[in-house]
Amino acid sequence: MSQLRIRHGAAEVLATVLLVALAILVILPLLMPLMFVFKTQLEFSYHPWAWPKQIRWTNFAEAWKAVKIDQGLLNTAIVSLGAIAATLPPSALAGYIFAKYRSRATELAFYAIMVGYFVPSLMVLIPLYKMEVATRLNDTLYGLFLPMAAFGIPFWTLIYRSFFQTLPADLAEAARIDGAGHAGTFFRIMLPLAKPATILALLLVFIGAWSDYLLSLILLSSQEHFTMQLRVASFLNAYGTDRMPKYASAAVISAAPTILLYILGHKWIIRGTLAGAIKE
Amino acid sequence: MSQSMVEPSALAGRRRRARDRGRAPFVLLFLLPAFLFLAVFLYYPIEETFRIAMTKSTGMGSEAYVGFDNYAKLFVNEEFLAGLWHVFGWAFWSVLIQLPLAFLVAFSLTFYANKLTGPLRSIFYLSNVLPSAITAMLGRFIFAPKFGVISSLATGLGWKWLGSVDFLGNKDLAFWSVFTIATWAYTGFPIIYLMARIEQIPAELREAAELDGATGWRYAWHIVLPDLNYPLRILAVLCTVGSLKLFDLPYIMLTGGPGNATVTLGITLYRHGFINWNYGKAAAVGVVIFLLSLGFTVAQFSLGQSREGEKA
Repeated sequence: MSQLRIRHGAAEVLATVLLVALAILVILPLLMPLMFVFKTQLEFSYHPWAWPKQIRWTNFAEAWKAVKIDQGLLNTAIVSLGAIAATLPPSALAGYIFAKYRSRATELAFYAIMVGYFVPSLMVLIPLYKMEVATRLNDTLYGLFLPMAAFGIPFWTLIYRSFFQTLPADLAEAARIDGAGHAGTFFRIMLPLAKPATILALLLVFIGAWSDYLLSLILLSSQEHFTMQLRVASFLNAYGTDRMPKYASAAVISAAPTILLYILGHKWIIRGTLAGAIKE
Repeated sequence: MSQSMVEPSALAGRRRRARDRGRAPFVLLFLLPAFLFLAVFLYYPIEETFRIAMTKSTGMGSEAYVGFDNYAKLFVNEEFLAGLWHVFGWAFWSVLIQLPLAFLVAFSLTFYANKLTGPLRSIFYLSNVLPSAITAMLGRFIFAPKFGVISSLATGLGWKWLGSVDFLGNKDLAFWSVFTIATWAYTGFPIIYLMARIEQIPAELREAAELDGATGWRYAWHIVLPDLNYPLRILAVLCTVGSLKLFDLPYIMLTGGPGNATVTLGITLYRHGFINWNYGKAAAVGVVIFLLSLGFTVAQFSLGQSREGEKA
């Protein structure tokens, strides 16, 4: 093996250098905004690319006020947590049934749920909007995260199902013999064992809801309910890139939670994404 | 012997009966939440989409049945046709540019596996998890005239010809500016997907190839690439279905403009439905998106089956 290594020598070094260069190219756009957030508008206009002379936090403070970032973050957090609370339990329950209580009827039910997996959410926007207006669900945060959850449930049911399938049947059997009921077996034995699937779902549902744009755009109409992404986008459309220092500050704050979460959980996130993709 | 045959089966029967007690209500109870969600937010709206698409329906609440009129009008609608054209162009170029790029990166990362492989993989995937509003903002900023990254750097270097190019306002360039940002943002997924597949190739194959004196490129071409036939086809289908649903990036960056230069089917739907308040037409666009993605998904599944067939 070590001999093989040596033979690759030069090629490996070259490939690694190219890959590192590409990685820098990938990460560079994310670092760019940091060049502007500490500058005044005037400094930016004259020397957009000069190193900031002094660390000022005023842009953050001003953006915080202008974009009402606190309100945006709170709304986005409510939507993300709501999406988690509404997506995970139905998916785990249904996934468990499809894995451990298989019958002709549950197979049919499984296909009925999988329909949702193949229907693009774009397709149902018009009736969804009409329905939410008719029931006054529109322009509320739960009116946003409930359909979000509905669109996610088919996928997470599939993931939970394949996870529960890997758990040995003897476990449930043993619990049943010990006198645990159907529900007791699920809540006390099986659900705790499904923790890896639950962690994946927590991370990915959170990131998905945090990043959403289209559903929020359609369903939310009053400023005070706007999520972070809507605020960032409307700021962009109002000022273009002219107010870059303030704008970049808002963007940095809005991207920070996702990036932090990625730094902490990138292994899980990549694993979860792959688990989902390979199931297809 | 007969006794020992009877006993376990009787026991199993008793066990099964114990297990079955309360089974049906339990199953129903556990499936109920998922079906409630889907009934309200999916099944009912799907049925409604088909129905509304056959009506002349506005935001004011009036509805009149018009048959296939909306569909017929779509196919002479300039904006819709532009959207359709861009969506297929987008899919075509994603497959032609993003997939080979992803293969090169994934192969090099796995072939020269070392301490950097893990961190590099995480970096390449990072841009995929960013909110699209942020990605669009970065895109606007890179291509913006005057203060944009390209313009200001080119002006600084004295390259007037490059500094004065309007990447976002020029109808012929706008599509490519958005596409470039999308390549930056979304190539991470095919990279990690292909890496996972390449890592499943048995190490003996590679060792045998190296003993035969095969170079990295010949190993990639003759052994790895044929093995990735199926995952690459899946990725091609995912690219195509993804293009059908494309909305965020071209909309936030350029609202589909200039003119119809970056309009997609998603943007057409949004404009018809939520700017012109023409629900009927928008629902018809929704049905078209659904039928096209259904077509590609069926294609994906039949690919899956032909692969099972190959293996059997």
